[in-house]
Amino acid sequence: MNLLNYVPGNSFLHRLNPITKLAAAFLYGLACILCGSILMELGFIVLMIAVCAVAGLGKRALRLTRNLLILGLFMFVLQLFFVRTGEALVQIGEFVLITTGGLASALLLSLRVVATMLPLMLLFAITPMNDLCNALVKKAHLPYRYAFILTTAFRFVPLFSTEFHEIQDAQKARGVDFETKNLFRKIGLVAPLCVPLLVSSLEKVNSSAISAEMRGFHLRTRQSGYKEYPFTGRDVLIFVILISLVVFSALFL
Amino acid sequence: MIVADHVTFQYAESSEPALRDISLSIDDGDFVGITGTSGAGKSTLAMALNGIVPHEWKGDFYGSVKIDGMDTVEHQTEDFCRKIGEVFQDIDSQMVASVVEDEILFGLENFGVPHGEIKIRLEKVLEDLGIPDLRKREISSLSGGQKQKVAIAAILALEPRILVLDEPTGELDPESSREIFGLLRKLNEEKGITIVIIEQKIKLLCEYVKRLIVLDKGALAFDGVPGEIISHIETFKTLGINVPPVAELSYLLRQSGVYDGGITLTVQEAEKMVREVLHDPV
Ligand SMILES: Nc1ncnc2c1ncn2[C@@H]1O[C@H](COP(=O)(O)OP(=O)(O)OP(=O)(O)O)[C@@H](O)[C@H]1O
Ligand SMILES: [Mg+2]
Repeated sequence: MNLLNYVPGNSFLHRLNPITKLAAAFLYGLACILCGSILMELGFIVLMIAVCAVAGLGKRALRLTRNLLILGLFMFVLQLFFVRTGEALVQIGEFVLITTGGLASALLLSLRVVATMLPLMLLFAITPMNDLCNALVKKAHLPYRYAFILTTAFRFVPLFSTEFHEIQDAQKARGVDFETKNLFRKIGLVAPLCVPLLVSSLEKVNSSAISAEMRGFHLRTRQSGYKEYPFTGRDVLIFVILISLVVFSALFL
Repeated sequence: MIVADHVTFQYAESSEPALRDISLSIDDGDFVGITGTSGAGKSTLAMALNGIVPHEWKGDFYGSVKIDGMDTVEHQTEDFCRKIGEVFQDIDSQMVASVVEDEILFGLENFGVPHGEIKIRLEKVLEDLGIPDLRKREISSLSGGQKQKVAIAAILALEPRILVLDEPTGELDPESSREIFGLLRKLNEEKGITIVIIEQKIKLLCEYVKRLIVLDKGALAFDGVPGEIISHIETFKTLGINVPPVAELSYLLRQSGVYDGGITLTVQEAEKMVREVLHDPV
């Protein structure tokens, strides 16, 4: 199950200009970074999930949140033991293990990570990569070759995983057992597969480049794009709301 | 027109040539089929005809290929990419977009086709290949045959004067394969587009192409009209190429002396022949 692929739809989120979506995701993330209250970070997460739920993406938002919480947990543990301010909370003999300051900053940091990453991850659910890149070329004057590299990189991710599973299946058919619980043994089994995977991937990228070349990649200009991405009143509204949110978060939270 | 003159090519990482001393010329409006066993050099030949070899695949290249008088070694791919289009053998890696529509738009946009015409061509080519319903689909979610049709559509939309297709029906069922060949014949006859098609299904080739080329270990083993294969059937067999059963039947009947007509390449012709031999008119 890929949590970064596009979810087709026609909600108000889907219908925004791709550039608005990108900017909104960043602005929302910025507001979360500027925010210094644990409660409000929680609020940002809940708000994001609620907005997604209204747009029919509630499930995706929840699953992403769950996965990001694992990352958050990791940050939490690190921060918990590194920050030594405040009073002792857990003590083993003379040694102070956890402090109140540590707990507070660990909570804040981990929630902030989740709240900041969530909108960026959700961006992929509502924006086809191709549209995002084309809009960036047309409106933000990003050179087409960079846009192309970006879309291609994204397109190749599922291709790689299919390829990897194919190679793995071929090995399984020869009796190699990948289901082992032993991590080191598993790494030992998977590592040799990386070389053929890399070789075949590089070959694919090369063929893809040749195919693009033959179809006039070099002739492309900024005006070439067929699809237009006009800004509408809705986009302006989103910009106003999110900039206000950032300002509010910077000043009061 | 493409003229290959004593072309020999050896891939950089290979120990023997993939093409050996190939000379041929493909006229405007020709419909050429290329066949041969696996590894015979068909794909390499196709790529030599449009300059991808030796520009993009490095190796030792001898001889020359000229497209409308332009030497492929002296010119860059961008100089002839408008003239000649290729549908490659590897379906997945020739895709440049993730949605069908964008895949077809890519070349049209690059070549600066007017935006009003882009829409018409996009819809027409989807219609021609019978895939209008795939328009908004993710390419990664398509079956092999569907992907193949998308790859063909993306090139057809560009309307090149010369069209090279490297085993474009490998993933298709017999009926769709026949439809593709029918479409190519129509393009060839109505628009005069030159077609070079690599194909393993020799029966289809014999039915549709005007000229057949057989490669064996990188060298030309046969170059003529499909009807001529009758006098080469033994050669074909030693090359490991299956001639169409109907062709073999006419050959065998001729060998045994009961039939003295030409080669039969379609079932209809074969039926006529058999009735003639059995003195059993319809
Ligand atoms: N990139 C490459 N590097 C080195 N050798 C190659 C490369 N591509 C093909 N070859 C070799 O060149 C020869 C001709 O290959 P080519 O792909 O042209 O054959 P083909 O007739 O198209 O075969 P198939 O029917 O399998 O597609 C083969 O021996 C092959 O191993
Ligand atoms: Mg080939």
